[in-house]
Amino acid sequence: MTKKNPLFLVMAGDGINCERETAAALELAEATAKIVHINDLMETPQMLADAQGLAIPGGFSFGDELGSGQILALKIRHRLGDAFFKMVEDKKPVIGICNGFQVLVKLGLLPFPSDPSRKLALASNESGRFIDKWVTLNVNPKSVCLWTKDLPFDSFELPIRHGEGRIVFRKGQEDAIYQTLVKQGLIPLTYTENVNGSYGRIAALTDPSGMVLGLMPHPEAFVSQRTYKKTGRQSEGDGLLIFKNIVGILKN
Amino acid sequence: MQPAIRIELESEITNHRLEKWAEEARTWLGVQVESIEEVQVYKIQPHHAANDGEIISKMHNVFVDPTLQTLHTKDGKYTFNGRQPSFVAEISFRPGVTDNPARSAAEAFSLVGIDADVASGSLYFMFGDIDKKGAEKIAQELFSNTLIQKAEVWAADNFYKMDRFDSIALPKVELSSTPQIMEVSLDLDDTGLEALSKNRCLALTVDELKHIRDYYSKPDIQVSRKSKKLPINPTDVEIEILAQSWSEHCKHKIFSAKIDYQDASGEKQTIDSLYRTYIKGATSEIEKERKLDWLISVFSDNAGIVRFDEKIDLCIKVETHNSPSALDPYGGALTGILGVNRDILGCGMGARPIANTDVFCFAPPDMPKTGEEKYMPDGPKSPRRVLEGVHRGVENGGNKSGIPTINGAFFFDRDYAGKPLVFVGTVGAMPHTLPDGRPSSAKELSSGDRIMMVGGAIGADGIHGATFSSLELNDDAPATAVQIGDPLTQKRVTDFLLEARDLGLYSTLTDNGAGGLSSSVGEMAIISNGASLDLALCPVKYPGLSAWELMVSESQERMTFAVPPSHAASFLNLAKKHGVDATDIGDFNNSGKLTVFYDGKLAAELELKFMHDSLPQMELTAEWTGSKHRSAWSPTTALNEAKEPLPANIESILIKLLSSPNITSKEKWVRSYDHEVQAATHQKPFIGKYSDGVSDAGVIWLYPHGGDKDNGIAIGCGLAPRLSLIDPYLMAQFAVDEAVRNVVASGGDPDMCCLLDNFCWPDPVVSAKNPEGAYKLGQLVRACRGLYDICKDYGTPLVSGKDSMKNDFRGADRRGQEIAISVLPTLLITAMSRVPMGTTVGSDFKDKGDLIYLLGKSGAQGLDGSEFSCYFETESMAPSIDSNKNMMLYRKLHIALKQSLVKSMHDVSEGGLLVAFVESMIGGRLGAELFMDNNEKDFVDACFNEAPGRFIVSIALKQQAAFEEALSGCDILKIGCVTEDAQISFKGSHSIPLKILVQAWQKGF
Repeated sequence: MTKKNPLFLVMAGDGINCERETAAALELAEATAKIVHINDLMETPQMLADAQGLAIPGGFSFGDELGSGQILALKIRHRLGDAFFKMVEDKKPVIGICNGFQVLVKLGLLPFPSDPSRKLALASNESGRFIDKWVTLNVNPKSVCLWTKDLPFDSFELPIRHGEGRIVFRKGQEDAIYQTLVKQGLIPLTYTENVNGSYGRIAALTDPSGMVLGLMPHPEAFVSQRTYKKTGRQSEGDGLLIFKNIVGILKN
Repeated sequence: MQPAIRIELESEITNHRLEKWAEEARTWLGVQVESIEEVQVYKIQPHHAANDGEIISKMHNVFVDPTLQTLHTKDGKYTFNGRQPSFVAEISFRPGVTDNPARSAAEAFSLVGIDADVASGSLYFMFGDIDKKGAEKIAQELFSNTLIQKAEVWAADNFYKMDRFDSIALPKVELSSTPQIMEVSLDLDDTGLEALSKNRCLALTVDELKHIRDYYSKPDIQVSRKSKKLPINPTDVEIEILAQSWSEHCKHKIFSAKIDYQDASGEKQTIDSLYRTYIKGATSEIEKERKLDWLISVFSDNAGIVRFDEKIDLCIKVETHNSPSALDPYGGALTGILGVNRDILGCGMGARPIANTDVFCFAPPDMPKTGEEKYMPDGPKSPRRVLEGVHRGVENGGNKSGIPTINGAFFFDRDYAGKPLVFVGTVGAMPHTLPDGRPSSAKELSSGDRIMMVGGAIGADGIHGATFSSLELNDDAPATAVQIGDPLTQKRVTDFLLEARDLGLYSTLTDNGAGGLSSSVGEMAIISNGASLDLALCPVKYPGLSAWELMVSESQERMTFAVPPSHAASFLNLAKKHGVDATDIGDFNNSGKLTVFYDGKLAAELELKFMHDSLPQMELTAEWTGSKHRSAWSPTTALNEAKEPLPANIESILIKLLSSPNITSKEKWVRSYDHEVQAATHQKPFIGKYSDGVSDAGVIWLYPHGGDKDNGIAIGCGLAPRLSLIDPYLMAQFAVDEAVRNVVASGGDPDMCCLLDNFCWPDPVVSAKNPEGAYKLGQLVRACRGLYDICKDYGTPLVSGKDSMKNDFRGADRRGQEIAISVLPTLLITAMSRVPMGTTVGSDFKDKGDLIYLLGKSGAQGLDGSEFSCYFETESMAPSIDSNKNMMLYRKLHIALKQSLVKSMHDVSEGGLLVAFVESMIGGRLGAELFMDNNEKDFVDACFNEAPGRFIVSIALKQQAAFEEALSGCDILKIGCVTEDAQISFKGSHSIPLKILVQAWQKGF
């Protein structure tokens, strides 16, 4: 008898637009996914305390104005505040995909929730353009990330769809920050090729607890072979395993 | 009041977009700027006094990412690593123009406790040895659109001398006139009526104005108006409502006209409405003959609705946004895509947009070539700027709304230099029935329902959108002609709308498109037979708008709902939760009238019958006198480069075609569109070994949208405007065939396929300044007949369509000489077809040893109208079409696909057989042997003619017998086999390395 499906909240509203497929991916991974408008969360922050996990999906929150993720991060900090940060303190799983990743970085939750000074950012792609492309990702077996732990492959493919996905570090501290991330196992996924100019080809970051994952590629877009880059048959897509991983940990 | 503050944000990292702009300036504008740096500017006017230090600290909070930016609130002397800029440009929005960054910044400020007005802008620092004229050229062409933005340019020294952080002014709309309702006298002679129409931008004819005058002089109307203290003549509100309702844009008067037509042989015919005879006529006959049960709603709603799935219905609509895109390519395309999204949102009870399409017809991107500049029309933006701007508009419109852009086309021809064509389409999904049991496709409302206006506030933007304001734009006037869309507001409206729909909070809805409230309320009022509203209740962007302006403004992102009074409170609450403005502005009733108040005072009362059903049918003449070949408007460049193309030149011909703008890879452009958000895109725009081969159609899996697990749809398009010069009849048939073939090649069921027609025509009404009008209408008649015939032959019903009828440019070229350019008569056909999942194989060759077939007619068929004919001299003959044979092939092919007999499939279109063949090779990065002899007489024609009805397919060797059996009775020809050698080899022993072909095809623009 499996345990009850853990409840994940999937944030929506204000220009977020991947909430449906993110919820569908979580449901496929045998979680219970509930799409909630951020304004509803503001009204009833208790929902966050009652949930086992949280996803901030991709999209264009606030139209990407003032920098991607900037205003949604501001809204979360000023309107959800403690209730939101408590989820991270309580080591509940939090995933930020694409725009959600940008939000987690702008909130200072990645890579070091305990250090509020921002050391890195997601800047506009080297090409200066938005790009939709399938990329190959290397899985870092030494990462502490629990979402990507024990994936049954060394590399896999997911689509990227962003204009601002290039990891840049604070000027003059680039190498030091990068080495810290490497040493602490905070880089779970890297691109196999230079797709956006990201430092060290970083595609994803985790926090030292391994429960917070931010990534530019879209795992929720590849939960079925039907949406693979080549027209495929109906069977599981590799992106699903990331969600299954975390749900499995919560259930055991 | 707190003085306004100016802040500047300096980027800490390289912005690569600026490198591109510098290159664009050098290449396309001929200004040798070395590099460009950008600094963002915000001007902030807090509503309440606050401590300066506190505001500055909060600004850091709101604006700054310390890794990326530095904030400046004074001084602002930039070092740029010791480099000295030569010129500085400041770009800011003109008053009243939608300023999305500022709107978001204001929202961000309110999150940290500051209420403020905000305006955004940019500073651009230009480096290198350029002069002021060059700097101004860059500022006006690259950095801004002067219709909506102000571009100020200074020499760098002078710029730094100003104290720009002092006495800050935000752009503000100041309307001087006090709004009042005016009487519009129609007691005028013909000249007077004509002047009235022109001055007020009514676009009504003298006869139409007389028709209004007659109505107002009827005794019963006069008595009724007197009793209500309405003037005897129409009020300005009334005349504007009528002008909107009767505009060509809303009423399609030309397609409804009675046409006296005479063809080349002298035969005469009277056509009572092209629309009823050929468009709707085809569909209703097909529906009856084929006993179709999947046409749910056609030609009655915002979009056509079909049932290709047991659980969900699909709706589809394609719009054009040509004139707005000509003026402001970015804003025009953006509002176009958001506008067609709203057609879907407002279709039936509201549908979720699941896919976008876009097709552009532009002048070649390298036009004007050196030496041709003088012959460019003076006024329209250069083709390159149009392309960049429209592309960015479609990108932002789709991406920021979370709708995948899955299909489209670029078509280039010099005849689009006067007016670019921008087609944007959207597919929507909705459940068969809503949770409360009502069918999603119905549109019903009750007398007593409240009228709710939802979305943005009303401004002067988009007043007379279709005809454009004749007033010159200046600093103090709001920009009325051009609009910028706001994808965020529309996304919020979308989220709200779909939640409200499923909660059953409204009776029905429609979008606010052309004509604004006048059209949306005016049309919904037909259902209950009446409506009454008070315009003073509408939220406005700024005070001072007249009642008529409020009534017809096309301010974007608005929808109109009918809400039962019992749900009004919940409806408004839900809107509030979503951060969406919703306002109760009146009610639907059964008075038989549209009644409009302004602050309680009666401003308009119009009988719906008069408004919608009284307009007399237009009478027009049309003639078809046979083909008239292109009258090229630019005399300098010879059209054809080579006189006699020889088979021996096959390599250079092929390379020329593969690298031509119409055929070359568009990957660079198309990858900026998110084509797989919503996680349901089955066949993407790029496929094959390296995901860089072309796909023939986008395929969406319906399961993620609530559909059946093994069900999908393919969306494809077809157009063949060059054939209009030969015979528009053929043009229409080729367009339909290409669209159908695109979806069939992607696994679409030819028997479950619907079509949309979008006509973009030069002015077909004959007049003194348009003497060719009757011929252009004759071309339209030919096109409609071609469309009707092939739809009947294929059994494919038309479910929705649109026409745009004044696509001409009349003016001067850059030498000042008179020039008239009409677009090629263009019919875009969009096809949507049901796909049983598993039948989409892709256009790329898969394995060596596979056999390659040409399906459809082979051999020489005529090169006229082909891409080949744009570069090489040809005999004047165009291919013909055999629609019955084609359809037999498509049906059999679909069965073969279901039996997994086909490994790759690609339609033969631009460039002909050999180009399609090579595209399949490039997709699979495999070589091929072509069993055609390059020494044979007809070789060139056979390779490059663009005859319809054909595919290149590859199959496994072991399936040969089964495949040939499955296609028995069809024209099939084994023309080659897939090889491992990275080259194409011909029977005549000639060969071309694949590498060269890939390079040519990926040249891009």
